[in-house]
Amino acid sequence: MPQPVQYRGMALIVPDNDSEWKEFYAHARAHRLVVRKCKVCGLMRYPPTHACPWCMDLGWTWQEVSGRGTIYSYEIVAHAIQPGFKEMTPYAVVLVELDEQRGQPTPDEALRVIANLVKVDFTAESEADVAIGKRVRVVFQDLADHMALPQFALTEEPAAGRVWRLPE
Amino acid sequence: MVVQSRGLRDKYCIVGVGETEYSRSSGRTTRAMAVEAIRKAILDAGLKAADVDGMLDYQGGDSTLANSVASDLGIRFNFYMDVMGGGSSTEALVGLAMGAIEAGMCNTVAIYRSMNGYSEFRIGGTGARAAQPVRGLDLAQVPYGMRSAGQNFAPTFMRHMYEYGTTSAQVAHVRVAHSKHASQNPKALLKERVTVPDVLNSRWIVKPLHLLDCCVETDNATCIIVTSVERARDLKHRPIHIMGVAGRVSKPRLDFHWAHGPISRVAGYYAKDIVFPQAGITPEDVDVTGSYDAFTFTTMLQLEEYGFCKKGEGGAYVSSGIIELGGTRPNNTSGSHLCEGYTHGMSMVIENVRQLRGTVDDYCPRAAEGFHTYDYSPRQCRQVRDAEITMNLGWAMPATGSALIMRR
Repeated sequence: MPQPVQYRGMALIVPDNDSEWKEFYAHARAHRLVVRKCKVCGLMRYPPTHACPWCMDLGWTWQEVSGRGTIYSYEIVAHAIQPGFKEMTPYAVVLVELDEQRGQPTPDEALRVIANLVKVDFTAESEADVAIGKRVRVVFQDLADHMALPQFALTEEPAAGRVWRLPE
Repeated sequence: MVVQSRGLRDKYCIVGVGETEYSRSSGRTTRAMAVEAIRKAILDAGLKAADVDGMLDYQGGDSTLANSVASDLGIRFNFYMDVMGGGSSTEALVGLAMGAIEAGMCNTVAIYRSMNGYSEFRIGGTGARAAQPVRGLDLAQVPYGMRSAGQNFAPTFMRHMYEYGTTSAQVAHVRVAHSKHASQNPKALLKERVTVPDVLNSRWIVKPLHLLDCCVETDNATCIIVTSVERARDLKHRPIHIMGVAGRVSKPRLDFHWAHGPISRVAGYYAKDIVFPQAGITPEDVDVTGSYDAFTFTTMLQLEEYGFCKKGEGGAYVSSGIIELGGTRPNNTSGSHLCEGYTHGMSMVIENVRQLRGTVDDYCPRAAEGFHTYDYSPRQCRQVRDAEITMNLGWAMPATGSALIMRR
């Protein structure tokens, strides 16, 4: 089993028998964002799960996605719970809707991913620039030889739909 | 999927309730607190230890199991079970108690929750919980500084504001109302009434949540006793009948509920279709609600999802005065999690039992005998006049909830 990865005071543990996450993080370390794609119905899913939540089939392949998406919702953490995050406050946690598979298989569904909204040096993006509707792209924060965390950064693309942030 | 009602309306009752004090430093074990709360509930019901033959409790590795607690009290089991869980377990366990009795496994079930929720295992995830390694599904959120309940729920609240124009000031009225109620509650940890500006000027925890949008972690134990209506008839209090119950109803993709939206929809969307048909009533028939207030937003989201107002109009509903004592449908009349103390839902069912009995433990001198002034100024009365039907809306998270409808 690989050593736990220490990140912001947390031990992130991805043992050799982690049949959901181990390969996901190996791809992330190679700077590829992957999701699981059902071999039968073709629908993609995140986080990695063993069976297809739509057709229950056990067959799947890793599918690379573009990592482009739109902020669907967010929060700004002012009071960190984990000690290692205190120096990062205020930081944004974003719920990103990826471009692939939006509104499928029902209008209420999408490939959505949780991560931080960061600058190029992986510090927290300025709070004033965090808003629903803004366009983002995936970036990878290398943590160890076998692990990187997918994060998101703002792009220069025009916003998708209405841009909204919590009033001051 | 339609759930067929099993015709159990009014066949089971809550006959006893009890709790310890709410504090931030109990100075004793969850075992000692559980024993005190259960003993109080047994005495409240007019039962003896030997009359209780079933037990259910819920916890998250932070409490004492039923085998120890029952032994202390001299209870011999025909049925017991320790359940993993937090919020929304109360209503679910009431339903499980009914099922155990209906199946002929036992006669009378004591349900308890006991926790040093401030001094030992803080609910927010700090202290002992913050040091836990991150693995499995937690990897999808926790490495991003998203661990506490508030951090887990905030994007849901934010999306509701985006979709419906809900404002911080509207939702602050939940805290205002519950603090008003707590000012009539000798048990409440926070008895001072607060204003909307007080809430909006309190420091940010995780936007859109201010400090006063969040509940108050406490040490406490609570207990509820369920039995059949036949057994309930000759006990001490007027039986409080269970009209309908829904337990831990969830949205799709419970593993990662963000995958299925709109994320501003919460589990009550599904639970309402179970519990209202069982009870044979509509929201208009409910006199008092108990909508789980881990946060101001959770109360608001559930009230609209269960149909007390239209979807998206929760902000207007909670700021209209309806949910305050003196309003047409008061919510959480004890002050509950935001002000009385955090109990993972038990205290809100206990409060509604007392409302239906007419014996809410306010500052009225003869409250225990059912005499109330109905004067809702501070340090006075919190009894709702002639409350006949109450409803509890339990919350674990946006994707999981429970519900309980009771009548006197």
